[in-house]
Amino acid sequence: MGTDRKRRTVRSLVDAMAVDLTVRERILEAGFACVARYGLAKTTVEDVARASGLSRATLYRYFPGGRDQLLRDVIAWETGRFFGRLAEAVAGAPDFPSLLEEALLFAHRAVEEHEVLQKVLQTEPERLLPQLTVESERILVFIRRFLVPYLEREDLRPGVEPEEAADYVARMLLSFIGNQGRWDLTDPAQVAELVRTELLAGVVRDRR
Amino acid sequence: MTVVERVGTQEQRVIDAALRCIARWGIGKTTLDDVAREASCSRATIYRLFPGGKDALLEAVTRTELDRFFTGLARRFDEAADLEELVVAGVVYTARSLAGHDALQFVLAYEPDVILPKVAFRQADRALGMVSEFAAPYLAPYVGDREAPRVAEWVARLVLSYTLAPADGVDVGDEESVRRLVGTFVLPGLVSPAAQ
Repeated sequence: MGTDRKRRTVRSLVDAMAVDLTVRERILEAGFACVARYGLAKTTVEDVARASGLSRATLYRYFPGGRDQLLRDVIAWETGRFFGRLAEAVAGAPDFPSLLEEALLFAHRAVEEHEVLQKVLQTEPERLLPQLTVESERILVFIRRFLVPYLEREDLRPGVEPEEAADYVARMLLSFIGNQGRWDLTDPAQVAELVRTELLAGVVRDRR
Repeated sequence: MTVVERVGTQEQRVIDAALRCIARWGIGKTTLDDVAREASCSRATIYRLFPGGKDALLEAVTRTELDRFFTGLARRFDEAADLEELVVAGVVYTARSLAGHDALQFVLAYEPDVILPKVAFRQADRALGMVSEFAAPYLAPYVGDREAPRVAEWVARLVLSYTLAPADGVDVGDEESVRRLVGTFVLPGLVSPAAQ
């Protein structure tokens, strides 16, 4: 096979994959829209096919597990998007504590304002939460990986490793994103206090 | 009536039987007939003890188990000689109680839809609030009245997180592991009342 032909073959493979990804995205997006409209219990493969303008057969090709797999993947996809938006929102923070403060402020607001999440939490939490709990392990990995490079640049307290600190901070972040408890996470002063004490007191050396 | 007072009563026998049934078949599939057979009593007895049937029985089971848990937690707290011991004992006892509770573990594994809505997002307020209210008086001598509920909630979050999503390097049921976790990330964040 000549180099040109090889290159063309690779190119067409890549193109085919790109198309695949787009179709998959299109289905997931339609699935998300259906969940927003009908909820998790009532969304059917038929609904998603109609909303995406694709055939049922195509949907089953991409989601051989049918409705269950499709809904599982829609939840995973939107969770991924949520944390992607969060990572983007805080990437420009001037230092590590500010990054965590911005993350808490942004994520708390985003959860409160996420209409589909709030609706499903109210009407069918029993369908969403088992799935989100499974997702939480993946989310923790994502947050941890995001945090490690920042922690590697921080002046950590003696004996603290970036990896374990990342795991601890990721857990605390996730816990507070789900539930603010005694804190008011709309108040930047409280959020700064929370980050300074519960998130970082054991992690970084005191800056004062 | 407290747990201790009820030991040996017919009410407690039925509750224990219900727990064994749930550990075997889950909440959904356990019937009052199952519980009656397990407790060697009649359905009528269960209805007499728990007017309202299965729902009332389940409520009593939950109340009894929480009562039992908090009684044990209080004993661990009473034995702790300093702040580190108090926090470590609280975490280890709670984690072990959760992990060793067969009925709870069955429900978490096979009927998560029953239990997770009670501990996630805003609903976690109740669970976190209950724990922090209970533990605050024990923490207050070390961290002050104002900080105590906050610290209790903080530690409760850790237990919940490691229980629902176990970590590779941390075992919240192991004293040494928890001592390191708490010593590294929690104790440095606690101010003594004298320093406030």
